Amino acid sequence: MPAENGLDPVIHAPVRLRVVVTLATLRDGDDLSFTRLQELLGLTPGNLITHLRKLEDAGYVTTVKSGSGVSARTSVSLSRVGRKALDSYTAVLRQLLDSASTSGTSPHQPGPANPDRISPGLPPGPPVRRSDDEAIL
Amino acid sequence: MLEEQDMSAQEAAAVVQDARARARKELVICAPFVYAAWGLALLLGYGAMWLSVRGQHPYTGPSGVSIAALLGLAALAVAAVVVIISKTVAGIDGQSARYRSIILRTYATGYLILLCVQVAIKGSVSTRTVAFVAFAAPLLLAGLTCILASALGLNRPAFALGAWLVIVGASCAWLAPAAILAVCALAGGGAFLLMAVIETRLRAHAS
Repeated sequence: MPAENGLDPVIHAPVRLRVVVTLATLRDGDDLSFTRLQELLGLTPGNLITHLRKLEDAGYVTTVKSGSGVSARTSVSLSRVGRKALDSYTAVLRQLLDSASTSGTSPHQPGPANPDRISPGLPPGPPVRRSDDEAIL
Repeated sequence: MLEEQDMSAQEAAAVVQDARARARKELVICAPFVYAAWGLALLLGYGAMWLSVRGQHPYTGPSGVSIAALLGLAALAVAAVVVIISKTVAGIDGQSARYRSIILRTYATGYLILLCVQVAIKGSVSTRTVAFVAFAAPLLLAGLTCILASALGLNRPAFALGAWLVIVGASCAWLAPAAILAVCALAGGGAFLLMAVIETRLRAHAS
């Protein structure tokens, strides 16, 4: 359910936002191992599990466990619902930044807007570009 | 736990940008590097062979040193590309891994077939035909592989490179052996290097 500012509260948290954006970089049909994701984000396993559980409960990510013992692997992927949620989130975020730069106020922060902080906001275009530019072998 | 703190829209935008830049750097194969590695190997390798056959009358084929140079450069390119790709795709599984496997197997099978054809026809056809099969056909095959990669969605801009390589490779059927090597070096290796520049610009534009 969107919060007052229209931003999805499940995604609107630093760690979960980083998780979702990182997974969105993967192509559709790809998944990332839990350990690589953890390494990329610099989180403890417990912290990452907590956030993944919240995202999984919302239907935004899917985790799959395979193998057993030494060969056990947990893979994480962004679901279609999650990708759409991120697209909506970034669209709302862009609107907030645009309206803030138009009105000259900082969204959700009292006081005058700091143009230097607003200007490096989201660039125009698709919110998250998928990795469709891999090199061939 | 560093979480659940309130974020402003600007802070959220910064997180998105930072996470996206980092993920792209870590999880997306560096296409410019791959193209540059292949481009240099082809340009220098084919170039060395062309220099060794330039002025040969009659044509006797590239020198052993120049063939070794091409093989050495190709081996270096393969090693560099394998290291970069393995490091980047570590932990990533799914469709793109299957597609990469298809592309790799397609090229390897095609190249093996070309080697067999080369051995089979050697001695029974003209040196021009042998030169075409040995030098131009692998480039043609690389072009088809690029088109396959593009069709699978792995690298859409690779279609242009693939189409160009197919045209260059097929055009070599009308050329003399020395000219085949020169064309493969310049039009083949050069195209890969140009692609590296284009990919660099595309990546800079995307970020």
